[in-house]
Amino acid sequence: MTKLSPKYKKPGNKVAYLMITPYLTYFLVFMAFPLVFSFVLIFHKWDIVSSMHWVGLGNLSRMFHDQLFFQSLINTGIFLLLNIPLQIFIALLLAMLLNEKIFARSFFRAVYFMPVVISGVVITILWQQLYSEQNGVLNLILFHLGLPKIPWLRSPALAMPSIALMATWKNVGLYIILFLAGLQTVPRYLYEVADLDGASSFDKFFYVTLPAINPTLILVVILSTLGGFSLFIEPFVMTGGGPMGHTMSTVLYIYKEAFLFGRMGYAASLAFVYTLIIFAVVAVQRKIIEQE
Amino acid sequence: MTSLLKKIAAAVRSFVPGGLIPVLMISGVLLNGCGSEHQETGKNGIVHLTYWPSANEYEINLAVLEVAQWNAAHPKIQIKMQPIPSSQSSEEVLLAAIAGKTTPDICSNIWPGKMGQFTRAKAVVQLDTFADFDSLFAARIPENLIKDSRYLDGHFYQIPWKTNPVMIQYNVGMFKSAGVDTFPRTYSQYLKAGRKLTRDLNGDGQIDQWMGIVDVRAKWWVRFFDFYPFYIAASGGQTLLKGRKVLFDTQASVDVFRFFQTGFNEGIFPRARFQTDPFLMKIVASRFTGPWEIAHTEKYKPKGLTYDFAQIPLPDGKKGHSYTYGDPKNIVIFSTTKHAYEAWQFVKFLVTPKADLNLLKLSGQLPVRKGLMEDSLYRPYFRKNPMMVKFAKMIPFTRGVDSVPEMEEIFDAISLEFEASAILGKRTPEDAVKRAAKRCRQILIE
Repeated sequence: MTKLSPKYKKPGNKVAYLMITPYLTYFLVFMAFPLVFSFVLIFHKWDIVSSMHWVGLGNLSRMFHDQLFFQSLINTGIFLLLNIPLQIFIALLLAMLLNEKIFARSFFRAVYFMPVVISGVVITILWQQLYSEQNGVLNLILFHLGLPKIPWLRSPALAMPSIALMATWKNVGLYIILFLAGLQTVPRYLYEVADLDGASSFDKFFYVTLPAINPTLILVVILSTLGGFSLFIEPFVMTGGGPMGHTMSTVLYIYKEAFLFGRMGYAASLAFVYTLIIFAVVAVQRKIIEQE
Repeated sequence: MTSLLKKIAAAVRSFVPGGLIPVLMISGVLLNGCGSEHQETGKNGIVHLTYWPSANEYEINLAVLEVAQWNAAHPKIQIKMQPIPSSQSSEEVLLAAIAGKTTPDICSNIWPGKMGQFTRAKAVVQLDTFADFDSLFAARIPENLIKDSRYLDGHFYQIPWKTNPVMIQYNVGMFKSAGVDTFPRTYSQYLKAGRKLTRDLNGDGQIDQWMGIVDVRAKWWVRFFDFYPFYIAASGGQTLLKGRKVLFDTQASVDVFRFFQTGFNEGIFPRARFQTDPFLMKIVASRFTGPWEIAHTEKYKPKGLTYDFAQIPLPDGKKGHSYTYGDPKNIVIFSTTKHAYEAWQFVKFLVTPKADLNLLKLSGQLPVRKGLMEDSLYRPYFRKNPMMVKFAKMIPFTRGVDSVPEMEEIFDAISLEFEASAILGKRTPEDAVKRAAKRCRQILIE
């Protein structure tokens, strides 16, 4: 066993402390303190400007009677069910295409990645214009085709799918890159062996490619799940949670409770429960994919 | 004492790494720099106060003038004007400022619906403790607005400053060409006129001209320009609450919800938003708005556009004067001030008859002042600006909002039901009003 040099064992190494101080300060101020403080808030009523009042488990019991919170969970669930499969399907398809030697491959790789680096708010505003009922490009195309205009963001049934479509467009570039990296690690000889065994393209995809990129798939599923759970900017800018609360994501609901209505304690309780739900979903997801 | 300090310093050193101490010291200095906005008394005995007016162009011009006049006349009390920092809403900025204790000494852009929360947090100075408050209030504030300014504890924390009665701006030319000579006074007259004015002008099968425009978003504050003024008018001047008791689950609310639902179902209000000004583009024939629209319309109107303002229509069979929402903004002194008396002197200056004339002239908004129309000081202004007379005449018939801390949440609950029923037609007006009232009762109990 290698012995540590005495200078590293010396307690109170000032230079080392100095080096970690910036991050430590950041961690304490912006992560540890808010985490502890929000846990304390769960048991209090506080509107930011008045003094805190102890309410025990009052916030948690209120949550069980809050229909809007449960609706927001359902909305987020619908978003995830639409967004994750759509994202994975499109990203994998495009990654497989871009993995082949096609014309202007580098250009396409750059183009698909571009929305990932553009500000979410900018993209949301652009899509809001596209979806505009009166003057939006999509409805103008439909109109010129002789089809009726669609209230993309005003219809309770269509609003969340419209947002999911936009979110897919924005994020798919990142998952293409991840899948591309995964695909490039699949050994060529596996395909050659499959060819010798007379495997079809379908067989090669399901019995060679998919198992080989399983770790990437787990990563993409978890990342897109976490991204979906944090759905906020899109409904905040495009619909404000409407129509009839059908795009009110849980994060947007927590934000409204905290910063619009000043119910910081209640919002902290919702955030706490929501975090537990996210942990549970991701754990189950991981277990299932690993078994598959 | 010295030995105690030494012991504390030693304890701190044993817990805090040496390198952290300078960082903490710098942080302390920086955080101290982010402290309160209100100013200390200078070495030469001059009191410095900070004043936040609204950040719109017209009110900044007004504030610059007022502050320059004050500073010239009061060398010992100097005011620093700083428009409210920009954000989604000034209420958010003020809330953040209260939380961070960075409020100014004086602010003149206070929405009374927020006063409940500010007062409960003891963030504002109780104004009726000043000796001359009663006389100023009695001389200035019309009787009907005194109730709206009083907090639940019976005291006053705000000075009603300006009001913008919500009325209907309509395109006279479009109305005349549709054969509607006078503006409708009742819901059925409005809907009937709407059917005439809503048209497919180019025959492509798509409607391209509507009677009116309603903001279809479910944001809580957009209801100030549709449901709320219509509710105040239909209820004969009621607000939503009495104390903390819900008052709005009445036939008046149902009538208002049904009026808008019919308007949307019949297509006289578009279920869409426009990227241009639909009134100036002659896409809509009318809109619900306030006196600030006069300056805007005059500045940008296309050639030949003639317009006028009318009162909010009433439900069929409802008699009496039409009331409306006054969209008031008030003045407060924040309790972070170290010079409440000096701040009060400046507040009084902001509401002098001359300052009110400046408010009219520079911002096109109406001061909350008794006998505004009769006062000889303002007569030349109204002669020169006849459109403003209609708004000034509405001042006695305006209402504000109730003073409970949960006002935004109450408007949000109503807005959700208004969207579901009136805009999307997914619920009956009776059901929607009942649901909104139930939710508001829950909010007020919690």
